[in-house]
Amino acid sequence: MNVEFSPELEAFRAEVAEFFATAPTPAIREAGRKTTSVFAPFDQCMEWHQILAKKGWAAPHWPVDYGGTGWSVEQRFIFAEEYRKADLPPLLPQSLGMVGPLLIDLGTEEQKATYLPPILQGLDFWAQGYSEPGSGSDLASLQCRAEADGDDYIINGSKIWTTYAHHANRMFMLVRTDNSGKKQQGITFLLLDRIDYPGMEIRPIVGLDGFPEQCEVFFDNVRVPQSGRVGEENDGWSVAKHLLKHERGGSAASPTLVRYLERAKEAAGKTPSPFGGMMADDPVFQRDFGELYADVASLAHMEKLAISGHSIANDPAFPSLNKTINSELIQRASILMTQVSGVTGLARQLEALRVGSNVEPQGSEFDLITMPLYLNSRATSIYAGSNEVQRDLISRSLATG
Amino acid sequence: MDFAFSQEQDMLRESVAKLLERNYDFDTRQELVASDAPWSADVWSEFAELGLTMLPFSEEQGGLGGSIADLVAFAQSLGEHLVIEPYVASTLLAGGALAASGTPTALQWIGKLSSGEVTLAFAYEEGAGTASPEQIAMAADPSEEGAELSGEKRLVIAGSVADALVVVARRSDTGKLGFYLVEAGAAGLQISPYQTIDGRSAATIHFNQVVVQQEAVLLEDARDALEAVLAEAIIVQSAEALGAMKALLTITSEYAMTRKQFGQPIGMFQVVAHRLADMKIAYTKALSTLTYTTALANSGAATLRDIAILKGQIGKLGHEIGEAAIQTHGGVGLTDELNVGHYHKRLIALDASLGDHAFHLRKVGQSG
Repeated sequence: MNVEFSPELEAFRAEVAEFFATAPTPAIREAGRKTTSVFAPFDQCMEWHQILAKKGWAAPHWPVDYGGTGWSVEQRFIFAEEYRKADLPPLLPQSLGMVGPLLIDLGTEEQKATYLPPILQGLDFWAQGYSEPGSGSDLASLQCRAEADGDDYIINGSKIWTTYAHHANRMFMLVRTDNSGKKQQGITFLLLDRIDYPGMEIRPIVGLDGFPEQCEVFFDNVRVPQSGRVGEENDGWSVAKHLLKHERGGSAASPTLVRYLERAKEAAGKTPSPFGGMMADDPVFQRDFGELYADVASLAHMEKLAISGHSIANDPAFPSLNKTINSELIQRASILMTQVSGVTGLARQLEALRVGSNVEPQGSEFDLITMPLYLNSRATSIYAGSNEVQRDLISRSLATG
Repeated sequence: MDFAFSQEQDMLRESVAKLLERNYDFDTRQELVASDAPWSADVWSEFAELGLTMLPFSEEQGGLGGSIADLVAFAQSLGEHLVIEPYVASTLLAGGALAASGTPTALQWIGKLSSGEVTLAFAYEEGAGTASPEQIAMAADPSEEGAELSGEKRLVIAGSVADALVVVARRSDTGKLGFYLVEAGAAGLQISPYQTIDGRSAATIHFNQVVVQQEAVLLEDARDALEAVLAEAIIVQSAEALGAMKALLTITSEYAMTRKQFGQPIGMFQVVAHRLADMKIAYTKALSTLTYTTALANSGAATLRDIAILKGQIGKLGHEIGEAAIQTHGGVGLTDELNVGHYHKRLIALDASLGDHAFHLRKVGQSG
């Protein structure tokens, strides 16, 4: 039982802080400050990804042989903490956090050689084609069909909630290759090496925050090579389940939440309370803030235990526990933030939020992001398996002991 | 970072767990609580034989030099068995104050405490307000002999049966908080004993110019020592609470899978299943924060804020788990006969003592 605080770690912290203070361009910094979602503004995010990759820091959690850093748990958290302190845009999770680790585990040598280097370097961005209009929480009921034809599959159907598909150059997806058995059987996991195949159409969906973050993707007789398959035909469900583990677990999400709370506290220190004094001195605010901060601390503790290999992470329900706790904390943090902004947060400021627009925001830069963040974060308890589905899984782990 | 217990710590945990499995099933415990005895003298002497009463003291003071992780390793069992013996109050709080003092009087008492020969009480809480040491009102007036204590202490665990009290009082001239030793039967003590809702022996004690000889003034400026002693007790008490939470989670999920209504186990209804999921979420948070804070404290790095987060989380999450357990059990959860309500009462009692979650969480919101 110990937590290490060594001079070496402090030197590492200084090295990371120094890099974050000097390496990002002004546009990257602006994108970081204007991030109102898990998904940061695309162009600056990828530019920053490429800078981090040159430094060797794009994928700390990957195995060293594939370009990971081999850092200790302490180092990984220091990196995440300094990253958030510097308000830099988080790298997009689909490539680095999902399909990359999946290919490392399950891809063919050829798939690894083709796809992993450009993922690591930030040259490719992969969209995730899972949900369909008729298949959300009940993902296994998906109907987007792929018929084998020679060395190809011919895809017909559609995908929805495909984040940033309009920015992507590749896509991983689940398709139905057989309808005869149980719904989980007959699903195949496919990699699409490009996203502009004839017959594909990508239509952005504008969300509550006013931004086209999500997309719908239509397939009309789209011919793709079978060499993009991961795993066996009709065995895609087990591949997808493997990937969901990467999507839900083993994260260091708490530093982002801590940063949101710090910014809320700082803003509350400058915001007059209707009861006199400043909001940060109001006992009710202090209590609300303290309760949320302590819950965020518990998530941080859980993440540190999990990354350190504590048995907590061996619980089959751990990914669901992690996802549920994290998603609900993002929502609560965003509610507190909008309370601090009050009426100032009600201005719809799409242009001021655009990186490089040079439009002065109404209110502060904090007020600029609170409402879009709140509106966007309504998605956190819905995506990646709704929290209702997660709670089903958690309770099932109790039933079986 | 290393969050695993050592082999020795696992062995200690197993010894305590075995001892309690042998002597402390729920029915035996209920008989003990209903009896006139404040706790089981036999179990207490077995604690001493195992070395538990000696464990936290340094080797120089005749102890075993146990760490906070050693204590946490076995304290969950105290919660699982709803133990009423005053380990935290006597060994950790009163004993911790003696250890911080280190005077010849303190060392004598440490010797007797370690061997299990005596029990001590820690007179700290004063009711509303005392969650914060700033609000301690018990006065220590300097006198020719040493000091005179006047005021009231509440929830003094083991207060009516302990061989001596370690009293936290404020010097009336300097305003400094100190530790003062008062032996049982001292003139000016008026003791009203009672049993707590969770079966422990406690007392409200009035001090009317109780004389403390100079050699029994343990520490005149005890502000930092008090915080350290409270922090250790809070961590161990949180481990005890976690043991109770774990028991409730296990008992309640088993019940939900066997109790049938409308032709199926109630745990198959999504509303009930999701309440169980929320209990597990709460338990996971509590386990994580206790484990991390223990490792921090073991490395000498736990701040007051870390301790406030732990105490706040354990109190709040304990309430949530206990209330969900009772609701899931329905009517039977309200009976004195079933252990569920007793775990809940232990959890809310631990929450209310040494500052409840509302206090600690607001402190977290105030600082930093």
